[in-house]
Amino acid sequence: MSLFKRKDSLPIPPLDAEKYTTVCQYCSAGCGYNVFVWPEKRSGTAKSNAFHVDLSQQNQLLSGFSYTETMHNVITRKNGNKYNLAIIPAKESRINKGDYSIRGGTNAQTAYTPTGHTKDRLKDPLLRKENGFVAISWDDAVEIIATVTKSSIDKYGADSIAMKFYDHGSSGLGFEDNWGAGKLFLSGIQTHYLSIHNRPAYNSEVWGSRERGMHELNYDVDDARLADTIVLWGANAYESATVFFTEHIMPNLQGGSVEEKKQEFDAGEPAEEGRIIVIDPRKNATITVSQDINAERVLHLRPNLGTDWILANALARIAWENKWYDSDYLQKRTDMVTFEAYKSKSLQLAKSLDAVLADAEKITGISRKEMEEAAGWIAKPKTGGFKRRTLTLYEKGIIWNMKNYDQVAAIAQLNVLTSNVGRPGTGCGRLGGHQEGYVRPGAPTPGSIYAGGPPKNVDNYITGGGGKIYWVGATDPYLSTPNSKFFKKSVKKRATNLLDYLDNGGIPSDPKAYIAKVLEAFEKTDGLFMIVQDIYRTHTSEDAMLILPAAGWGEAVDTSINCHSRLLRIYDKFLDAPGEALPDWKILALVGNKLKALYEADGNKVMAERFSGMEWKNDAEVFEAGSHEFGDNKATESEEARLSAECYKGVTHEMLRKLGNEGIQTPVRQDPATGKLIGTKRRYKYSFASKDGLFKWYGTDAWTGYPAEVAKYVDNPAYPYWFTTGRSQHVWQTMYNDKRIPEKLLTVPLPYLEIHPNDAVKLNLKTGEMAEVFNEEGSCLALVYVNDATKPGLVFGLMYHAKGTMNNLTSSYTDPKTTIPWYKGTKVGVKKYTGKLDDAIKTVSLLSNNDFTTS
Amino acid sequence: MSDISRRKFLQTTSASALLFFSGLNNTHAAPAKAYPSKKIGNIRDLKPNEPLAFNYPDEQSPCLLVKVDNETIGGVGPQKNVVSFSTLCTHMGCPLTYSKGRLVCKCHYSMFDVSRNGQTYQGLASQWVAQIVLRLDAGTGNIYAEGVEGLIYGRIGNLKLS
Ligand code: SF4
Ligand code: FES
Repeated sequence: MSLFKRKDSLPIPPLDAEKYTTVCQYCSAGCGYNVFVWPEKRSGTAKSNAFHVDLSQQNQLLSGFSYTETMHNVITRKNGNKYNLAIIPAKESRINKGDYSIRGGTNAQTAYTPTGHTKDRLKDPLLRKENGFVAISWDDAVEIIATVTKSSIDKYGADSIAMKFYDHGSSGLGFEDNWGAGKLFLSGIQTHYLSIHNRPAYNSEVWGSRERGMHELNYDVDDARLADTIVLWGANAYESATVFFTEHIMPNLQGGSVEEKKQEFDAGEPAEEGRIIVIDPRKNATITVSQDINAERVLHLRPNLGTDWILANALARIAWENKWYDSDYLQKRTDMVTFEAYKSKSLQLAKSLDAVLADAEKITGISRKEMEEAAGWIAKPKTGGFKRRTLTLYEKGIIWNMKNYDQVAAIAQLNVLTSNVGRPGTGCGRLGGHQEGYVRPGAPTPGSIYAGGPPKNVDNYITGGGGKIYWVGATDPYLSTPNSKFFKKSVKKRATNLLDYLDNGGIPSDPKAYIAKVLEAFEKTDGLFMIVQDIYRTHTSEDAMLILPAAGWGEAVDTSINCHSRLLRIYDKFLDAPGEALPDWKILALVGNKLKALYEADGNKVMAERFSGMEWKNDAEVFEAGSHEFGDNKATESEEARLSAECYKGVTHEMLRKLGNEGIQTPVRQDPATGKLIGTKRRYKYSFASKDGLFKWYGTDAWTGYPAEVAKYVDNPAYPYWFTTGRSQHVWQTMYNDKRIPEKLLTVPLPYLEIHPNDAVKLNLKTGEMAEVFNEEGSCLALVYVNDATKPGLVFGLMYHAKGTMNNLTSSYTDPKTTIPWYKGTKVGVKKYTGKLDDAIKTVSLLSNNDFTTS
Repeated sequence: MSDISRRKFLQTTSASALLFFSGLNNTHAAPAKAYPSKKIGNIRDLKPNEPLAFNYPDEQSPCLLVKVDNETIGGVGPQKNVVSFSTLCTHMGCPLTYSKGRLVCKCHYSMFDVSRNGQTYQGLASQWVAQIVLRLDAGTGNIYAEGVEGLIYGRIGNLKLS
C-alpha cells in the first residue's frame, strides 16, 4: 500500500567505516553532516559501530542523533564494488546541533547510483547531432570549445562569448569552481556579457547595502538567539532557511535563550523572550509557526507589492521623531555629509510626520498603528534606557522586489539609524538562499549606477541576436530567468538556426571539419552555440550544441561558507563522479589551458598570458590560488571591516579537514601580533567597509508608481490579480534532484497556486482542482490550494517546478540601477481548468501548509 | 594450502569471512523476527476523528488508530477510512498529536497527512511517518496490526531492539 518502497531497517556502519565531514548541499543554513561509507556486505553491531551510538535501545526524542530511511543509500564506486552510504546530521555542529530539514535529510538519496533515482546523471560530453545527442571524448569536446571560442574572440571580439554561471557555494560548488570560472571568463576571455545563475546580469543583489559600507552577511547564528526583536522582511525562514529558524530563531521566541542573553547583555539590561516582525504579503508558515509559539509577540505586516522601501523609510521616520537613535553613534560611525540626503529624501524631514505617514499608509496599505508598533519593536529603547537589539534579515521578497537598490538601501539604513549592527543580538543583512563561496578576479562592472554600473543585460543581448557562444553552467534559465517563455523561444530559434546550417549536408564527425562548419554558420546565420555544463540534462540543455557532465556534491572536494555565520568548512569528496564527469573547475581549466596553447601556437603572447594560471593539479591548489585575490589579510580585530567578507587567505583544505564541523568564520585575518589565523564572529563593531570606515547614507527615490512592464496591467480587467511567487519547504531550486526522489515528487507533483477563499468563490475553484494562470508574458497550469495564506486579490505561485515555471509570467523589468529583475510581482488572470485532473492529485496531500493548530 | 587455492578460498568465502570478523554471524544465524499480529480495536467502537492509542510492534513504539472522514491510502473498512500510524515524529522523535486529518509535531512543526500515506506535507521530517499495516476481520469487526511500512523513528530496525 505504500506509494513507494519503504525500509524497516537500516545497515550499521562498522567501527572502521570511512568517515568524512561535509555540509548540506542545499540552503543558506549550511547544516553540518557526517558521512559514513562502508562495503555493502560489512556491518557494525548495535553496540559497536562508527556512529558510537547504542543502537540496541529505542533512541530518545531530540537526542541529536537521527538515522532515517532517507539518510541511507547504496552506491557503486569506480572499482565496481558496492558500498553503504549514510549521511547524518552532525550533533557537534553549532549550526544545526543534529537538526536537519526535509531537504537536507535526503542528501544521501541524491548520491549517484547506477540503478537508483539518479541513474540518469550525465556521464559523457554530448554533442548534438541530427537526431539527438551523441557521446564524444573530452579531448574532442575541449578542442571544439577552445577552437570555436578562440576564433570567435579573434573575429568578433570577446563580447561574442556570453556566459551564465552560478557564483555561489554548496550544491557541490564553491570557492574552487568559482575561481575556475573567474579565471576563464574574467581573466581569460574578458567578455562583458557575464551573468550569474538566475539573473540577467553580473551584479550584486545587495549593492544597496554594500555601497553603504555594509556587507550583507554581518551577523552570527548566535545573534538570532540574542535579539530582542527579529525582523524577517520578505524572508520565509521556516520554509527556506529551516534549521536556522528552528535552532536559533524559535528558541528565542520560546524564551529558551534568556539565560544566554543575560550572559551577553549589559548589567541590568532587560532580557526576555524575543519578538518577531514578519513583513510579507503572505501569511506563510514562518508567521503561523511563530504565532503558535506566542501570538502576542508576533507582528505581521502585509505591504502592497513593491512598496517595502516606503515602509522602511516610514519606520525610520517614526524612530527619528521619537529620538530612538544614538547621536553619538551616528556622528562617530556614519558619514554626516551624506546623512543630509537621507534626512531629506528618505526621512522627508521637510514634511510633517503626519503627512509622511499618511502617504506611506496609502502606498503600502499598512496602517499607521501597525507602523508605530513595528518601529517601537525595532528601535524603542528598553526599560532603563538600554538600546534594543534587533536583527533584521531580508531575502527574495526584498532583493527581487521592484527597485532592488532602494529597497535594500532603505532597510540597511533603518538598522544603522537605530544602531542595530555590530552588537550581540543585532545585524542587518540577507537571510540567504544558497550558501556562498565567491572568489574571482574583479568584475567588469564594479557596482550600481552610483559606482560604475549598471551591468549589461545578457538576456536582452542573447534574445536580441547578440553573441555567438553562450555557456550556461549549473543553472537552467529556461525555468529560472525572468520572462522565461520569451527567453526560451528566442534561444531556441537561434540554436535551431545553427543546427539547421550544420545539418545541411550532414554534421561533420571530424572535430576539425565540425569546427570549420560552426565558424561558417557564425558568418552566415545568427546561430547561437550553446554549451550547457551540469549534472543532469536540463530544460535548457535540449537546445545546447554541447552538454558537459559535471561532478556534483560529494564528488569533488570543495569549500563554501554558510550565510548565518559565514562559517567556512570543507565539503569532502566521498563519492566517485559518474562516468567521465569532472569537477567544474577542471572542465574550465581544460578549456583555459587549451586556449593558452592555441594562442601560443599562434605566437600571440598577450592572449596566451590571459589564459595562464589555470594549470592546477588538484582542488587544494585551486583553493590556494583563489586566496591571493583577497590581498593582504594582516589585520587587527578592529580592522576587520576592511577585509573582504569571504576572505580565507592562509586557510588550506588540510586545515579545514582538521577543523571538520567547527570550521572557521570568514573574513579570516592574520593577527599582526601572533601571526595566527583568526575568524570573525560578527562584523562592523568598530567601523564600516568604506574607505574612511564611515557608513555612507543614500537618499532613496520617492514613490512613482509601477514600471511600464507591470503598469500596463494595473487597470486591465483581464488581469485582476496581483501575483507573487516563492518556494516550498520540500524542494530545492528547479527540483533537479527532488523530481527524482519519490517522497518529494509525490508531495509536490505539480506547480501550485494559492488562492484566497474569497477569490476562489469568484473563480469557482476548490483545493485539489487545477487552474491556468496567465498574462501577456506567458502562462502556467497549476494545482490549486485555497487557503488564507494570500490576501484577497493576490495569488501566489511556486516559483520553479520541473513541470512548469511561474517565471513565464514575470516581466522583463529590471532595476535600472542594478539590472536586478522584479521576480516577485506582476498581475495575472486565473482561469479554472476543466480538463481531466492530473492523476498525481489523487496521492498528494491537499491540507493547508500554514495551519499548525491542533484545537 | 597453496597460494592459488588460498586466494580462491578467500574469494569464494569473503562475505562470510567478513561477517565472522565483524561478529555479525550471530545476528544472521538467529531466525528473522516477524511482525506480531495484535488486536488493537474494533471498527464498531471507533468514533470519527477520535484516535485510539496503542503500542506496536512492542511496548516502546506508540501508535494510533483513527477513523477519518475520507478514503485513505492503506485504510481498512468499507470506506477505507480507518488508518494507523506510529506517533513518533520521524524528524527527531517527538510525540505526534492527531488533529484535523493529520499528525502534528510541536517540536519543529512537521505535519503528516494520514489520508495520504503519512506524507510530510509540511515541516522538517524527510522520512514519511511509519504506517501500520491493518487487517479487518469482517465478521467480528476486530482490527489487527500486522506490520509496519517504513522505519519507526529511533531504531536501526523496527524489530531490532534488545
Ligand atoms: S536547513 Fe538547509 S542546510 Fe540545513 S539541512 Fe535543511 S536544506 Fe540543508
Ligand atoms: S521532532 Fe517532530 S518536527 Fe522535529
